Formats: sequence, C-alpha cells, structure tokens
Amino acid sequence: MLQKFKSIRVILSIGLILSAIFAGYCMYYKVTHWGFSFKPRETKRIWNIEAHINFMPTNENIKITLATPEDSKFYKILDDNVIAPKYKVSRIKSTENKIVLRAQPQTEEQNLYYRILLFDNEAGKGTVRASKPRKPAIPEYDETQMAVAKSILAQAEALETEADLPQKIIEIFNEKPTPVAVSTLLPFKITKENVATTIKNLLAIKSVPSRLIKGVRLEENKKSFSPDLMIEAYVGGKWRLYNLKNAAKGMPDDFIIFQRGDKGLLDIEGGENSSIQFSVLRSTTSNFDLANHRARLDKTKSWYDNSIYNLPINNQNIIKWLSVFPLAILVIVFIRNIVGLQTMGTFTPMLIAMSLTQTGFVNGITSFAIIISIGMLLRTLLSRLNLLLVPRISSVVIFVIIIMQTMTIIGYRMNFDIGLSAVFFPIIIMAWIIERASITWEEDGAFNASREIFNTLLTSVVTYFIIQDEYIKHLMFAFNELNLVILFIVMLLGTYTGYRLLELKRFAPLVKRG
Amino acid sequence: MFNNLFNFASPKKLKEAGVLGMNARNYNFISKLNKRSLYPLVDDKVITKGLADKHQINTPKKIGIIEFQHEVKNILQILGDYKEFVIKPAQGSGGKGVLVIKNYDGEIFTTASGRIITYNEVYQHISNILSGLYSLGGKYDTALIEELVHFSDIFKDFSFQGVPDVRIIVYKGYPALTMMRLATKASGGRANLHQGAVGVGLDIQTGEALNAVMRNVPITHHPDTNAELKNLVVPFWREHLEIGAKAYDMTGLGYIGADIVLDKERGPMMLELNARPGLAIQIANGIGLQKVLENIEKNYPKNLNAQERVDFVLNHKK
Repeated sequence: MLQKFKSIRVILSIGLILSAIFAGYCMYYKVTHWGFSFKPRETKRIWNIEAHINFMPTNENIKITLATPEDSKFYKILDDNVIAPKYKVSRIKSTENKIVLRAQPQTEEQNLYYRILLFDNEAGKGTVRASKPRKPAIPEYDETQMAVAKSILAQAEALETEADLPQKIIEIFNEKPTPVAVSTLLPFKITKENVATTIKNLLAIKSVPSRLIKGVRLEENKKSFSPDLMIEAYVGGKWRLYNLKNAAKGMPDDFIIFQRGDKGLLDIEGGENSSIQFSVLRSTTSNFDLANHRARLDKTKSWYDNSIYNLPINNQNIIKWLSVFPLAILVIVFIRNIVGLQTMGTFTPMLIAMSLTQTGFVNGITSFAIIISIGMLLRTLLSRLNLLLVPRISSVVIFVIIIMQTMTIIGYRMNFDIGLSAVFFPIIIMAWIIERASITWEEDGAFNASREIFNTLLTSVVTYFIIQDEYIKHLMFAFNELNLVILFIVMLLGTYTGYRLLELKRFAPLVKRG
Repeated sequence: MFNNLFNFASPKKLKEAGVLGMNARNYNFISKLNKRSLYPLVDDKVITKGLADKHQINTPKKIGIIEFQHEVKNILQILGDYKEFVIKPAQGSGGKGVLVIKNYDGEIFTTASGRIITYNEVYQHISNILSGLYSLGGKYDTALIEELVHFSDIFKDFSFQGVPDVRIIVYKGYPALTMMRLATKASGGRANLHQGAVGVGLDIQTGEALNAVMRNVPITHHPDTNAELKNLVVPFWREHLEIGAKAYDMTGLGYIGADIVLDKERGPMMLELNARPGLAIQIANGIGLQKVLENIEKNYPKNLNAQERVDFVLNHKK
C-alpha cells in the first residue's frame, strides 16, 4: 500500500519536473524568439522610416537601385515594403542589401516610397560586417591641393589628443571658423557629402582605407531630410565608424545604416533630377503585437501561427480569461486541503472571485452582501411555506434575479455603482449560497451559517487578489504552459496526507494531554 | 478565549501523538479501504437494515417504507396499531429529517419534544423526505418508518433531551476507538459534536468514560444536567463492540463508524453506519487514531471472525 502510494508520488513528481522543464523552455523560447516579456504591458519602441524617392522619367526604361539597411546590433528590421505601383520589385541580398525597381518608360513625375519598420533590438546578435579593404587609391589632386592636404594632415597629426587620425582630421574640419586650408580643399558648395569625401581623400593620402556610410539617424518625428552620413575608416585592423559632426567614434545607437561605400544610395536609370528624402516616425507597440513580426523574422512563423497569440483578439481575451482559472483552482485546492478551510461548494469561491474581478473589490463585496442578506430574508419567509426542494430553490433563483434587477435599476437611477455590479454575480451560485446558508442557519444556528459564508467569502477574496493581479494575469496568458505545471502541483497536492493548517489548532488538545 | 485562538500545535507533535488528519484519513484509509461500490450499503438505511437482519445485528424494527409520492397516503395503513414510531429519510445524515412521534392517538401526533402536529404535517414531512430535502445532493429518497427506540434510563442524567449514542470506529473489523455522544441544550438536543454536543471518550475494553470534550474544550460535567461525566459507564459493552465488528463483515468496508443506541428492552441496536466517520473522536478520547490504527495493522491477528476479534480487543494487553 505504502509502496504504491510512493510510486504515485514519484510519477507525479517526475511529471512536475518534466512540465517545469517544458514550461521553462517554452518561456525561454517565447522571450528570445517572440520577444515576450515577464512584465505586463511592456512595449517596444518602433521606428517607421520612410524613404521618399522622387524623379522625372526620361522616357526610357526605368531601373532604380536603392540600398537598404540590414539588421544591426541595435536595430532589427521587422518589416519593409515598397509602395511603387507599376514597378516590378526585386530584392538583392548580398554583401549589400538592395531593392531594384523596374518599370516601363513613364511620363509623369514619379513618387515612390520605401518603408521599413524597425524596433530596438536589445537582444540582437548581429555585428558590423567587415571585409578586408584594399589599399586606397591616392586622390587625384593637383600639386597645390596636395600641398594643402598635406598641411592639414600635418596639422591634424600635430594635435595633442589621444584621438586617432580620422578623429583628428574631423576635428580640424569642424573647427570654427573653418580653417583656410580646409576651405581651399573643399568645393565651393559645401555639403555633408563633400566634407565626407574630402576627409576620405585625406585619409587615402595616409593610406587609411575609408568609406562613406549612408543611413538614417533615428530621431522622433524627423521629416523630409536627406540621408545622414558617417565615415568609416579601417584603423588598427578594424572598421570604425566616425561621426562627422563631433568626431565621436563608434556606432551611435540611434543610427541605422542603409549603405556602405561610395556608390550612391539611390541609382536611377531612366530618370533625372532625382532626390531621396527620409522621414522618421517613432511609435510604441506592445510586445504581443510585435511577436508576430518577430516570429516571422525568426522563421518560427508556423509555431506562432498555431499559438493562441495568433487568434482574433476576441478569442484571445476569452483565453486570457481562462488562463487564470487553473491558478484560481490551485488556490482553492490549497485553501481547502492545506489550510483546511471549509467553504460552501468547492468552486463557488472561485466563481465569486471571478465576479469580483468584473465588479471591483468594494463594489463587489457590498453588492454580494446585499444580495445574500435580502435573499436570505426572503428565504426565511419561503421556509414557512414548506415547499418541496426543486420549487423552493427555483423560487430562490427567481428572488436573486429580482434582487439583481432592482439593484441595477436603483443603481442606474441613483448613479450608484454598487447597484450596477449586482448582475455580474452568477445567479445559480448565489441562489445556492442563500439556500445552503438558510439551511445551516435553521439547523446549526446563525453563527455557523455566518461562519460558512465568511469562509466562502474569505476564500473568494484571497482568490480574487491573486487572479486580479496584472502581473499574474499577464504571466498566465503569455506563458500559458505554466498551466501544465499547475496541473501537476494540484495532482501532487492530491497525495498530501499531512495535517491541514487548521487541524494544528483543532487537535492541539491532544498534544497537551499526551 | 483569544489565547485559544493562537493555540496551534506543531505538526511534529501531532504526529508524535499519533493524530490522524483529514487528508491522511481520506487518502490512506477511506479511499483505500472503502470501495466506492460498497457505499450504498451504508448510505441507504433501508439497505443497511436489510443487511443487518441477515447478519443478526440488532436494529430498530422496520414498520414500513414509502418510496413514491402516491404511497404517502397509505401512511395510516402502514402505521396500523403503532402508537409511537420514527420517520426518517433513508439517505439522511446527522439526524436531519428525523421525525419522532411519541404518541399517535388515531387523530393527532405528538412529537418527542411534545409538539402536536396534524396528519397533514406528517404527510408533508414524508413528501419532503421523498423529494430529497434531507438527502445528500438532493437525490430522491425513501422514507423509512421504524419502531421507536426506548432509551435506557442509565443515560438519562447524562443527556439533555435527545438520543445518547455510542460511536465506534471500526478498522478492518476491529473496534479501534469509541465515544459516547451526549446531546446538550447548545446542540439543540442533537448528538452532533459540531453542533455542541458532548463527546465522551470510552475505554475500548471496559466502556468507561476516559475524557470528555465539548466544542473541543475538555469538560468534567455535563453543562445542562451537571452530571459528572467520569461516572459514565456503558453497559452491555461487549455487545456494543460486537455490533461494530459485525458491521465490517456485513459491509466489507475497512474503515467505518458505527452508531449504536441502547434500548431498554432490546439492548444495543445499530442505528446507522458511516463510511466517512469524523475525526473528533480523537479529541473526545485524547488519543490519536493514527497510532491506534497502526497498532491494529501491525499487531492484531488477521482472519479472525467477529467474535474472536472482539475477544482479542477485550483481552489484549495495551
């Protein structure tokens, strides 16, 4: 007998451990692959970048090549799409990502859009990709230019800072007022691009390979700007990024790279007067909404499709509601079998707790008390009629309905919330509580009846405080595999043969004497 | 009283005292020794009575049963010449729905408490029983009409109204623990401990009072009659134990509670059996049941008949 009992426990314990491992793995998976978090209402920053391409066609076949960003350490691309009707879109994924758009000759001005959706990728594993550069070609400067260039380089090297060469050069370019030498070297019209190219040339003289980086700096609600530029130089065996504005080294965490190298960001055949303008919009999205995108990125879409998070939102809400039930049941099992509190009906407290989550605590408890008191009062009158069981309990059910209706009307007319919350209580359960309490009252006295109601209510309140918690609700929904763990805990509690908490008091007289 | 509220014993000490808890009772004893299919034998008093007759166990004599509503009108024919009788629900528990008629003069009925009721009220009461008013879960029930037990006067001073009875916990046919339950004013004349009746633990070998409690608190005198409880001795003790031992043979349930009353003329009679007897008997005795059951399991011989088991219990050195 004892042997068999032990083996049941062992089996259930193994089940519990396996389910815990399974749940642990699922949780890990959901967190890393789908981006679920343990906190409720967690949101992620989302960036919407829109590139607006505009050009006049020249009546030839059109071919547009647009460099597109790749995932970086900081940002992950959730989605991108091209709004270009009449164009055939093809994507090239090689060392550089590109989108190629082709179309028949057009006559009107063309406006095309390319949109990408990024999110802050804290867990991103991508690194800046680097290929070993060749020695750069000496720029085609005439003698004067070369002399000026060398003087700037000498000046830069003379700077007594710990910065490396590219930083020093950038610092000189940023000096205010602009040094004469620098102005001489720069073309008449100074643009971000000119500055960057000149710095690149200077570095080439010193045999430091470098390239331009085009991309977008993420700032909130930035509209219609040309791509941001950074320069990347191969220093000390590594590609390093330099901010042209302040010579800061390294990848800024708000920069998203579209293209590396000197080729144009945008290349258009069959068009002229082209321009590309970017807009950035920041928004926040809940993790659940993001999960879909992330799952697709992760190539685990089919798992995701078969999960509850892919259901219509209505169904999700129902499941969210169901997901806390097992926990509530665990609480009931605990209170009854470990604490030893006797309640009216096994799951009555759980159902009342569920109602309390709809009504709110104070309103719910008050409303409950009113319904039960009036119900019991009417039930006393009923007991004088000596009705048979089924008609009697049916009358109590109708009483409850009438009380609820009246409370709702009063609640509405007097703008009284407590009245309005009456309807959330399950009618049949309320009727049975009234019936049971009345019978206990008649047989065992008011004290026992009140105690039964009190115990039931106490259990409901404990259950309520556990299931109404945002955090717990979120956990039970986002990591619904926990329900399996709860199942095994409940089954293991079914083999608990130790004393109940209240028995420690009940049987205390036995210890003193012994 | 408030001191008492925080008066908890440690689980370790309870274990040392051999106290049986509710979970252990359900898991280790009831679910293992009491087959579900045998429950109706004790849950339905009509069946229990039939079995008892077969095993020569003394019970109050059956006058008749009423199963269906249309039979209720036959009540007067069933009663015949009986002047006193008891109507009870076959599947009731804890004395619920028991109507005791002390005197019926062909016109009016007088109840045990002296209340006078009419034929209509008796009719209504039987209807209530049939509709399941007093049965577990509101199942349709049968009304059982029995002869009235004439309680032995020995206990008159020890009980406030009501029916004093002896509860015996029987483990695999061996009487394990016994107590007498005495009604009080607080219990409304009923012998249910949770309603405030007095529980008196009895020596298993002699039937003498060991210890008494009311609402879990030790007492020495009956609160209403003021009788000194330690003077309580149950006569025909061996016959009481025999009923308990035979109840095992007749039901096959390994863990039961037998409720026995003492009739003036007919001696100890089995009133009902319970497949889920409560644990308060431990407090009444001041003895942990777990300890007792373990001892029986380990040291008592198997394969004895009811008489031999009672002999063993009576002569066994503690």
